[in-house]
Amino acid sequence: MATTTEKPIIEAQNLSREYARGPEHVNALSNVSFHVMPGEMTAIVGPSGAGKSTLLHLIGCMDLPTSGSLHIDGVDTAGLKDRQLTRLRRDSVGFVFQQFGLIPTLNVLENVLMPTLFSGRQEAARALQLLEQVGLAHRAKHRPHELSGGEMQRTAIARALINSPRILLADEPTGNLDSASGAEVLQLFKSLNSKGLTVVLVTHNESAAATASRRMTIADGQLVADIRQ
Amino acid sequence: MIRFAIKNLCRRPIRTALTAGGVAAAVCVLASLLAFGEGYRKSLDIELKRMGIQMMLVPPGCPYDAAARVLKGKALDVSLPESALAAVRLDSAVAQAAPLLMAAIPRPSEGRTDMWVGIDETLLPLKPWWKFAGKSGWFTNPSSVIMGNEAAVTEMRRAGDSLYSPETKREFHISGILERSGTSDDSMFFVPIQTAQEMFHQEGRITAVGIRLKDPSQAATAAVRFQQIPGAQVVTMGEMMGTFTTLVDSVRTLMVGIAGLALVVSGLTVFNTMLAMVMERTRELGVMRAAGAGRGHLLKLLFTESLLLTGFGSGLGLLIAVLFSSTAEHFARMAVPLAPDGRLMDLSPAIALQCAGAGILVGAVAGIYPACRAAALQPIAAMRESAQ
Repeated sequence: MATTTEKPIIEAQNLSREYARGPEHVNALSNVSFHVMPGEMTAIVGPSGAGKSTLLHLIGCMDLPTSGSLHIDGVDTAGLKDRQLTRLRRDSVGFVFQQFGLIPTLNVLENVLMPTLFSGRQEAARALQLLEQVGLAHRAKHRPHELSGGEMQRTAIARALINSPRILLADEPTGNLDSASGAEVLQLFKSLNSKGLTVVLVTHNESAAATASRRMTIADGQLVADIRQ
Repeated sequence: MIRFAIKNLCRRPIRTALTAGGVAAAVCVLASLLAFGEGYRKSLDIELKRMGIQMMLVPPGCPYDAAARVLKGKALDVSLPESALAAVRLDSAVAQAAPLLMAAIPRPSEGRTDMWVGIDETLLPLKPWWKFAGKSGWFTNPSSVIMGNEAAVTEMRRAGDSLYSPETKREFHISGILERSGTSDDSMFFVPIQTAQEMFHQEGRITAVGIRLKDPSQAATAAVRFQQIPGAQVVTMGEMMGTFTTLVDSVRTLMVGIAGLALVVSGLTVFNTMLAMVMERTRELGVMRAAGAGRGHLLKLLFTESLLLTGFGSGLGLLIAVLFSSTAEHFARMAVPLAPDGRLMDLSPAIALQCAGAGILVGAVAGIYPACRAAALQPIAAMRESAQ
C-alpha cells in the first residue's frame, strides 16, 4: 500500500535507548534507523529481550529515546512535553496489547469509547460502526469477562481505532489467543491495513509475522534484518 | 467521567461501602453534635423567654443549679423565708413577683416522681402561655389542684374529678387542667401556695421567687439590691442562659474535636482506599495513558472518585443524622441534666452544608496524593504490566 511519493509516517534515525537496571547499564536499543511508509504492515520480530517492545514503546511515544531522532506522523518527538506526547499518542497512534487492557467494569461499547473520554469527541456512532467492523456489534453490552480471548482482542482493536489513528501498534496481539482466534485477529489487521492503516506489530509468532508485508528483525538491541516480503 | 468514576468505585463494593461508611459515621456524629448545640441553645433561649421571668430569687448555694431546678420543676433541698418575697415586692423596679414552693413526691411503684408546685395568682402574668382546657380554671378552694396536661393524662383525670394523694393523705378537687405547652409545666401538679406549705411542712418558706421587672434594662441594678436580701441570692435569666450555653459549648467543643478526629481518621481511610485503587489499577491507568489520557485526565478521574466517595459518605451521614435525630435527642435528653423542653437537635441546612463540606474537603485532601500518583504514572508502566 505504500507509495514512493509520500513521506514516511515513522522515521527513526540512530535510535538508542539505554537504562539502568540496578548497577547494570542496559543498551536496550542501539543506533536503530528505519522508516515506515503510510499503509505498510510491519512485523518486528526477534528473540525475547532483543528490544522489540522497547522499539514499539518509542514509536508509540510511550517512552523517549536516549539519543537519536524519531518522527511520528511528521512530528519530531525530540523535546516534546508530556502534554504534546499525549496528544500525539491520542491523535496518531492506536495501541493493542497482548493482555487486551480492557476495563472490567465497562461493557464492550464503553471500552471502545473509553479513549473519547480524553479526546472529548462524541463517537458513539463510530464505536458501533467499529464494533460492526470487528464483528462484535452483538456483544456491545457485554462485559469483558463474558467474552472469549479473541473477542476481547477485537474489542481492544476497535478501541485502538476509535480516535482514527494513522498508526496501529500491536504488542504480541496473538500471544494470549488460541490459533483460530489469533488467525481472526491477524485477518482483521490485514483488513485494516488494506484500507490504508499503517500497522506495526511485535510478535514471536511466525504466522503473524508472515501476514506483514515487511519483517524487521531485532537482536541485541540492533536492527539486524529488514526484509520486505 | 462521573459515570466512569462511579463504575470504578463500584468495582469493590464492600471496600467502597466501608470507606464511605467511615466518612458517613464521622459526618453523622459531627452533624448531630452541631445540631445538638444549635438546638440546645435555641430551645433554652425560647424556654427562658417564655418563662416571662427575668430573674429569680433562690436560696443560697449554686444559684444556677437552684434556678435551673426551679425552672425544670425539680425540688430544692433548701428554701427561702417568705419575707424575701415581701422584700422583692417592695422594690419599685418589680412589676411582678411570684412565690414558688416546689416539692417532689417519688412514686417508685409507678416509676416516676411527681412535682407539686405551690403558687398564687401572681404567677399567671409570668406564665402567659397557660391556657385552661375546656371550662376548667383557677383554684376554687384550698383543696383545688391544677394539673398539667400530661399529668392529667397519666392520672386519667378530668376537670371536676377528685384526686387523692396517698403520700400526703389529701383529697383534691381538680379545678383546672392546662393545655399542653411543651414545657415542664405539662407534668406538674399546681396547688395554692399555702396548701403546698402545709402539705410539705414548709410553713413560712418558699423555694424561689420569680421576678419580672418593669424595665428589663434595670436588671443589673435591681439584682444588686436583691442580693442584699438576707438568706437569698439572685440570678438573672441572661446569666443562666450564658452559663448553660458556655457549659454546653465547652462540652460540644470537646465532642466536635473528637468528631473532627474521626473525620481525619475517615480521611486516612479514604486516602488508603484511593491509594489501593491506584495500585490495583496501575496497568489500567497505563492503558488509559496509552489511549490518550493526559496527566490531568487521570488526576481529574481519581479526584472525582475521591470526591464521589466522600460526597456519598457525607450524604449518607447526614441522612442518618436526620433519620435518627429523634433517637439521638432521646439519648441526649437522658445524658444532659435539666435539658430544655424544646427540640434539642436542630439540623439546619447551614449545619448540613458545613458537615457535607467538611466531609468532602476531607475527601479532596485525602484524594490529592493518590490522584497525583496516578497522574505521575508513566505510560510505559502499562506495557510492563501487560507483559507480566
